[in-house]
Formats: sequence, structure tokens, C-alpha cells
Amino acid sequence: MKKVIEVKSLTKEYKGLRAVDDLSFDVYSGEILGLLGPNGSGKSTTINCLLSLLKFQTGSIQIFGKSMSPTAYEIKKQIGVVFQEVAVFQELTVRENIEYFCGLYIKNKKMRNEYVEEAIQLVGLEEFKKFYPKQLSGGLLRRLNIACGIAHKPKLIFLDEPTVAVDPQSRNHILDGIKRLRNEGATIIYTTHYMEEVEILCDRVIILDKGKIIASGTPDELKELAKIEEKVSVEIEKISTEKLEEMKRFKNVDDVKYIDGILVVTYQKGKNNLIHLIDYLKKENLQYNKIYSERPTLNDVFLELTGKELRD
Amino acid sequence: MFGHNFKCALKTLFKNKVLLFWTFAFPIILGTLFHMAFQDIESNETLDVIDIAIVENESWKENKILSHVFDELEGDLFSITYGSEEEAIALLNDHKISGYLILSDTLKVVVKENGIDQTVLKFVVEEITETEEIMKQIAFRNPMKEESFYQNLYSMIGQIQNENKVELVDISNQNLSYTMIEFYTLIAMTCLYGGMLGLYVVNQNLANQSHNGKRIAVSPTPKWKVILSSALAGYVVQLVGIALLFLYTTFVLHVDYGNDILKVIFLTLMGCFAGLSMGIMIATLFKVSENTKTGIIIAFTMLCCFLSGMMGITMKYLIDKNIPILNLINPASMITDGFYALYYYDTFSRYYFDLMSLFLFSLLMILLSIRSLRRQKYDSI
Repeated sequence: MKKVIEVKSLTKEYKGLRAVDDLSFDVYSGEILGLLGPNGSGKSTTINCLLSLLKFQTGSIQIFGKSMSPTAYEIKKQIGVVFQEVAVFQELTVRENIEYFCGLYIKNKKMRNEYVEEAIQLVGLEEFKKFYPKQLSGGLLRRLNIACGIAHKPKLIFLDEPTVAVDPQSRNHILDGIKRLRNEGATIIYTTHYMEEVEILCDRVIILDKGKIIASGTPDELKELAKIEEKVSVEIEKISTEKLEEMKRFKNVDDVKYIDGILVVTYQKGKNNLIHLIDYLKKENLQYNKIYSERPTLNDVFLELTGKELRD
Repeated sequence: MFGHNFKCALKTLFKNKVLLFWTFAFPIILGTLFHMAFQDIESNETLDVIDIAIVENESWKENKILSHVFDELEGDLFSITYGSEEEAIALLNDHKISGYLILSDTLKVVVKENGIDQTVLKFVVEEITETEEIMKQIAFRNPMKEESFYQNLYSMIGQIQNENKVELVDISNQNLSYTMIEFYTLIAMTCLYGGMLGLYVVNQNLANQSHNGKRIAVSPTPKWKVILSSALAGYVVQLVGIALLFLYTTFVLHVDYGNDILKVIFLTLMGCFAGLSMGIMIATLFKVSENTKTGIIIAFTMLCCFLSGMMGITMKYLIDKNIPILNLINPASMITDGFYALYYYDTFSRYYFDLMSLFLFSLLMILLSIRSLRRQKYDSI
């Protein structure tokens, strides 16, 4: 596949803190690359360096095969950015905002109007065209923020946590829109600390912590990195320490925890783990409410690699 | 791109209520308050002609200087009744005059009570006596022609008239009131409040100042185009604001800005430019929040206007007399003084000096801003 972005040994320090530490990665045409990491892991700083907004100490950045710089206008024409913070003019309506930002890229007025209408449709703001930003809910505002960033139909899109503080309905709308953009041929870099979004959207994921890449690959490849293969959770009112210790000695069990009324048993491998656990609970006459089995998540991978949760 | 950005900047500026208040509404409100306040003060402070009497004894008749001076002041400052001392005393007792003058060895002022008229009379007589003495000594040491002597005499009379504000020197044949200075400072304030427009447009366009700035910075539009077109929009809005103020003060408050409208407009254009460039400088150089920067602009503008006489004309004279350098670096003083020069002087050298000072001030502001404006990448945003 064709490389769209090539980052080599990128290092960014600020006030003695190394925010990005020797980062190297590639982004390929047509893929959605997820940059996953907790707050302060260096995701946004990396994006700002890629966009030539921030100075960096070492490293090189090539976009579309050319060196990226603040005056690389030919590259910039093909880039769309949706920042984490909502960046719109409060004095302009929804349509005027999208039209203004689109106009920074598209000179032709007729074409611009078509693009603006398409962007409004993509984010589902048809009924709010004449609304001012202050009249919109948080979710609708986020949608406007996205429309302003992608209305000019860029080939490469940076989405920096676009769903922060968004209601579920708007989140689904945004995620659907992003899929549509990819289907239309855009390459997307998506930063988030919501692992569920990454699992739904991303073809490839880079996990960052303290400015470093700690793992990368497809979501399935990353899950292979986790020692566990299955996680069973049981809602149970009370269980003794002896029983927990006894369960730890079961075949394939990696760990057993009881936190806030939930018994979590993780298995390294094996089949029929759930059935064996239910049999044990019945035999010991332990009353339970819900019981469910899950595959390991990226959060488990992160936990495995760093010893902390993604949302810490 | 330039036109697109200019149009959008105009739209955002004209819809920004806070900016509109400070640049459009506030000067008009303040102008109205000035008008209401100073109208009364001015009418109260107008001096009437003072009724006096002069004892026409032999000494008086022989003193050509004094009799000439008082002949000149007759009607403008004094209404004079000539007669004997008894007649003067009778008039004074009947409160028909404020005081009378009697010349023996010295010129004496006789008054019966204290008041403004009596103070003015005493002050004028002291001035005349002192100047008369000086002139006598000069004439003794260096005899001059009669023509030169009278020139000096008229100069002295003019000085007395001016110092007592009986009649301000009037070149344009218009009635200039000293409260005009207040309106000049009001124009200066409005020009400098344009700094808020400069601040806003720069803040909206720099990546290290606002989220919108970040979005604009990643677009393929060159930074200079965005900044220049936005600043131009800010300037246009400022001019609309000042035009409204001129129209309001001229047609509603009947403030007279003189006959040389073109020079008035040119001075205002330069004043607005100075205000805008000051805002741009504050926006780029100070690393504080937008609200703090707005506060700095308001505080700086009010201080400049205060020093140029907005809260009392005495301040302008005090600065002129004691720290004239302050007026040379105060943009409000440059604007106020430009208007003052247009009105008071028949030559334009002082006006052009003020204009040039404003230009240099603006240039300095822009030069200070350029380093920061040229920056393309930041350490942090």
C-alpha cells in the first residue's frame, strides 16, 4: 500500500518534559489508523507536530511523499483537521462556519456550496443550518466541528478525539460519518482514549504511553499480546477468600478478582471455561445474577503492557 | 482567499456585541454624557463684562500706557465709568461696580467684597502694572519707536485677554469652546479602542491564541493574507464606528470640528490606524488571556485619554507645562493635539507633526508585532 505519512524518530520536548519520544510510524492510503493512549500520552502533540504547528527537536515528517512544513500549501490543501477543541466562530451560523472554513481551501464558489451541503448532510445538521453555535447542544457542536474540518473533501483527515463529551446518538452519527469518509477514499488518523471506538473503526492501532509507542498492529494482533484469552464476569453477592483461592487453582485460570460485587475470572486459554465455572458455582451453592464471557479488549492489552488502565 | 477572509471577518466583527459596544455604543454614550455635563459647566463659567470705575485724576490722564490699555479692554473685559473718587465710591456702595481704580504713586484697586469679578480685576491690574514697569525700563534702556512700543502694548493686551478667557483667539471664525478638548479626547479614545478590534482579529487567526487560529493555521491560506485581510476588516469596522460618532456629535450634539474636514478625516484615519496597530501589538506580545489583553487595552486607552485631558482640561496643560515628553509618546495626546492644532493655528506644522508622530507610533507597534506574527511554529499551543 502507498505510504501517506512517514514519521521517523520524532522527538518533542517542552520545558524539560519529553512529550513525544523517538516516534516512528507510517500511515497507509485508505486506512484508519488509531492513536490510542491515556490523556497526556502524546497523541495530540504528535498530531500538532505532524501538522507543523509545533516545533520538534529531532525527526522527519513526510506527507504525500513531501517534507511537511508550515508553508507546504500543496500538502495542506489535501489535509483536513478536526481538533479536540471546538473551533468555530460564535458569530456565524452553522452554514456560514462550514462555508468559511471550506473557503480557505476551495476558491470556486459553486463547488464550495456543493461541498458545504454535502458536509452538512454527512454530519446530519440539515435542520440546524441557520443556528448559531451557542444554540447547539454539545453533540451537535461536535458535529459542526467535524463538518468544518472535512467539508473540503481532504484526502488525509486528522480526527483528534472528536467524540469527547458527546451523547450516544451524536457519537454513532460521528462514527458512521467517519466510516463513510474512509469508504470514499480518505486516509484517517484517529486519536482517542475510547478503546471501543478504536475497535469499531480502526484498521490499525498504535498504542502510546508517555510519548512512546508501546504496541502497534491491527486490533486482533494487539489482543494477541495479552496473556489472556477469555474473561468471565459474574455478579455475585458474597464469596469467601478461600473459594477465590480455590478458583485460582483451576485449569487455564490466569487470575481471579472480586471487586464491588463482580467476580472476574481471566483465562489464559482453553475451551468451555464458562461451563466449568457455572458448574463450580452450582456445586458450591453460590447464588449469582448475571454471568457473561468476553474476549480481551485493548484496555486489557494496555493494562498488560503498562500496568494501568487507559482511562487512568 | 483575501476577499473571502475579509468578508467573513467583517461579518464576525459586526456581529460581535462586546466589540460593538466598546467601539460603537460606548463613545456615543460618553459623548452624550459629556454634552450634558459640560453644557451646564460652560454656561456657568462664561465671564460677564465686569463693571468698574476709574478715578480720572491728573495722574491717570498723564499715564498714556494705562489709559491706552484700559481703552482696549473696555467692552471686552470691563465696562468702565470714569469720574471722581466720590462718584466711584458711591457706585461701589450702590453695588453698581465691582471695584474702582485710582492712580497715585501706584495703581490701587478698591473693592468692597470678595468674588470672581474682584479677583479678575485685581489680577488684571497686577499684570498691567508689572508689564508697564517692564516696558518703561526697556524704553529707558533701549528707546524704541512708537510703533514697536504699541506693538508690545497690544501684545500685552492680547495676553491679558487670553489669560482671562474672555475671548479665545478665533482663527476660523467659529465659536471654539474649551470643552471641545473633551470631544477631541473622545475621538482619540474611540480611535484607540480600535485596539480591541486589532486584538480580536489577531487572536482569531493565530494558532497559539485560539482554536480557530489553529484551524486557520493548518489551512493552505498564507498567514499574511489572513492577518492582513482580517486587520483590514477591523479597520473598516473602526471607521464605521468613528463615522457614526462624528455624525452623532456633529448633528445631534452640534459639536463643531472646524472647516478643514479633509484634514479632520485624515487625522482620524491615522488615529484609527494607531489604535488598531496598538491592539495587534498587545495581542501578539503579551502572553496572557484575551480578557486580560482587553483589560490592558481599556486601561491603557483610558490612561492616555486622561493624560490628554479627558477628565479635566487642566491635565493637558499640566503635562504640556511639566512633562511635555509625555504628550509626544501618548497616542491620545497626538490625536487630541492634532485636532487642537487644526482649530487653533493658521499654520499646519503642528498638525503635521502630530500626524507624523501617530504614524511613527503605529509603525513601532507593527514592527514590534511582526516578529511574533511571522512565527509559523510554536513551542506549545
